[in-house]
Amino acid sequence: MASAIPAKKKALPIPSQAILAKTFHWVNIISLLFMMSSGLQIYNANPVFGGRGGWHFPNLLLLGGWLGGGRDWHFAVMWIYSLNLLAYGLFVFISRRWERRFASSSDIKAIRVSENVKRKSYAWHRLVYTLIIPILILAIASGLAMYKPVQLHWLASLFGDWQTLRTVHFITVPTVLLFTFVHSLFGLKVGGTRLIKSMFV
Amino acid sequence: MSLILPKRTLSRRHLLQLSGLAGLGLLLDGCGTSLFSDQVGQATEPLNQAIESLLLSQKPVSEYPVSAIEPDKLLINTFETTPQIDPAKFQLAIAGEVAHPLQLSMADLQKLAFTSMVIQHVCVEGWAAIVQWGGVRLQDIATLVQPKSSARYVYFKSADGYYESWDLASALHPQTLMAYQKNGQPLSVDNGAPLRLASPVKLGYKQSKWVTEITFTSQLTSKKGYWEDFGYEWYGGI
Repeated sequence: MASAIPAKKKALPIPSQAILAKTFHWVNIISLLFMMSSGLQIYNANPVFGGRGGWHFPNLLLLGGWLGGGRDWHFAVMWIYSLNLLAYGLFVFISRRWERRFASSSDIKAIRVSENVKRKSYAWHRLVYTLIIPILILAIASGLAMYKPVQLHWLASLFGDWQTLRTVHFITVPTVLLFTFVHSLFGLKVGGTRLIKSMFV
Repeated sequence: MSLILPKRTLSRRHLLQLSGLAGLGLLLDGCGTSLFSDQVGQATEPLNQAIESLLLSQKPVSEYPVSAIEPDKLLINTFETTPQIDPAKFQLAIAGEVAHPLQLSMADLQKLAFTSMVIQHVCVEGWAAIVQWGGVRLQDIATLVQPKSSARYVYFKSADGYYESWDLASALHPQTLMAYQKNGQPLSVDNGAPLRLASPVKLGYKQSKWVTEITFTSQLTSKKGYWEDFGYEWYGGI
């Protein structure tokens, strides 16, 4: 098969990704789509902003058909979403990937002082995708606090009152969408479609 | 910021990948419909319920100060009608798998030890309110009727036709009350007068209003609760 690749392209190294990083990306994206659509279904039962009289999300974005169905999906896919993140976290920790593949002080330095545009983009990209991790964890923490505010009272009390807790949990949705979008743009910028493709195929 | 987007050509492989995404899109287009939510719920409810009952502790949950009460936040949810019950004629029947079935009037209930608590009432819809409830511990009523060792569940029947069933452990939690007082005032009809369930360990739909019958039982029937029979989770713990 290698002979089929034109010589010119051979010069460029094809980025290779760990199989566990690829599975994490796939499972995370798909489970997040289910979590967000079922979450918005639950949101609509009593909008975080404005209560019953507040603005409701259109049906097109919803999953579950009604509050009960949205909860069924949300509390089923939460397992896939959070266990996937946990598995990835263990992988990053055990393989010491966090030392090489995530933002460090040298990236912050590059963002601040580097004249090298490529190095700067690279640093920004690493910073953006590193920041996605705490957002994903915050979505789980605020979700658990709302799911079991009594039995996990210690967790719920970290968020202050109920409205703050609901707002934080909701805000993780646009935040994760924004960061995913910027992560994709920087991915394209620093590595082109070859880099993006390497993470999924 | 200048982004250099590489030129794209659509290869056969890409087309297949895109069709995969389109398939996902088709799946998500089912949004707004229930889309297997019943099956998904049935498949994961046993796991979720096991975790929820594992989390339940018989230790009292921490309460809020009286100053934290939010009188305007407790919304009124009723499935059909608001029954008018004469408190003077009201009788609470406690029966089923118990050693001493009982009928209690409001006067009888008010003679039993009074318990007050300030807790957060959480509705399945997403809102919550800090409320003070006062009444009789269900635990104390259970002590009077002596449930048999076979009893594992408790059914609650209401005057408006609403019905609920609870696991015994949650029903006997020290803060599960048969309440006749809210925010320092006698319970209003809209909130379930003369007698309703109130507990910090369950979602609002489990906390029946206008309760007239309490039945201890060893088995759940196919009718688990008004909303549960439409598809809400049965355990409903928080």
